[in-house]
Amino acid sequence: MSFLDIFKKKKSKDVAKDRLMMMLAYERANTKVDNLDEMKTELINVVKKYLKVKDINIKTSSNQDIETLEVEIVLQK
Amino acid sequence: MATVITVTSGKGGVGKSTTTANVATALALRGKKVVAVDFDIGLRNLDMILGLENRIVYDVVDVMEERCNLAQAIIKDKRTQNLHFLPASQTKDKTVLNKEKVEKLINDLKKDFDYILIDSPAGIESGFEHSIFLADRALVVTTPEVSAIRDADRVIGIIDAKSKKAQNGEEVDKHIIINRIKPELVERGEMLPIEDVLDLLSLPLIGIVPDDEDIVKSTNLGKPIALDEKSLVGEAFRRIAKRIEGEDVPFIDLKAKKGFFNKLKGFFK
Repeated sequence: MSFLDIFKKKKSKDVAKDRLMMMLAYERANTKVDNLDEMKTELINVVKKYLKVKDINIKTSSNQDIETLEVEIVLQK
Repeated sequence: MATVITVTSGKGGVGKSTTTANVATALALRGKKVVAVDFDIGLRNLDMILGLENRIVYDVVDVMEERCNLAQAIIKDKRTQNLHFLPASQTKDKTVLNKEKVEKLINDLKKDFDYILIDSPAGIESGFEHSIFLADRALVVTTPEVSAIRDADRVIGIIDAKSKKAQNGEEVDKHIIINRIKPELVERGEMLPIEDVLDLLSLPLIGIVPDDEDIVKSTNLGKPIALDEKSLVGEAFRRIAKRIEGEDVPFIDLKAKKGFFNKLKGFFK
């Protein structure tokens, strides 16, 4: 980037790329598990045997080298 | 060994049928026995792009429901030797297809042809699933625009999940075709350049196709542009065919064509 570029407006292709990078990262994380709903029901059924379950929230995320699957089990009070 | 190639995109209107018609034509020009199959049941289009709409008697659904045999439904292109076409049904809807029927059809076609090109419908519903089910390779067509790229990424993510090959532990060979590139816009920084599209989609590239008015003309005439030896777009498709056949050919040069007036305009910018 030259000195003059600082005063230039950001090109629309750069905006497009930034927006897509964000969106694709988000969508890829959410589609990692193929049958998320199916897995959710099965998990609930297993945990239900031992505890009273209200809901299950599943999130996938990745940072640098590690990919994680967060399973949050909400219990009935 | 026959190769099944599915042309898909997620988003509609990015040039799937045009790509199918031209890659099929280009492969046929190389002496391979090719059949282009339109899987967009209810919204057929490939027939007009190939210029074969007046020769349709039976369609793919007639074959699957055994109202005719395969040979009766396949149309042999008189203009391009080795090129054949199996039209989609225009009256039925996508729900008439099922996995067993699709599998039988494709396996029957495999006995007679070197390449089976399947023009997938837009979307990611059952029509898409049927067209990708038996694919050996997938050509994912996109344009350098946000919506097309986003949909392409979504499709890429589910190709393997829906394919038989992947169920057997293999992978579908996936490649990107970037269609409708406008070199002048890219040069001005107002269109995503090829490298950026590839960065985003992280799949290998198999073709770049410039935006060209000749495409409109060739569609109007029902004559695939791959037949036009002088056309740059035609050359772009012919090179895709070469790469499918394993040849290592450079990508076409897409430097903005600058005429005198454009240069003059450039001075005043």
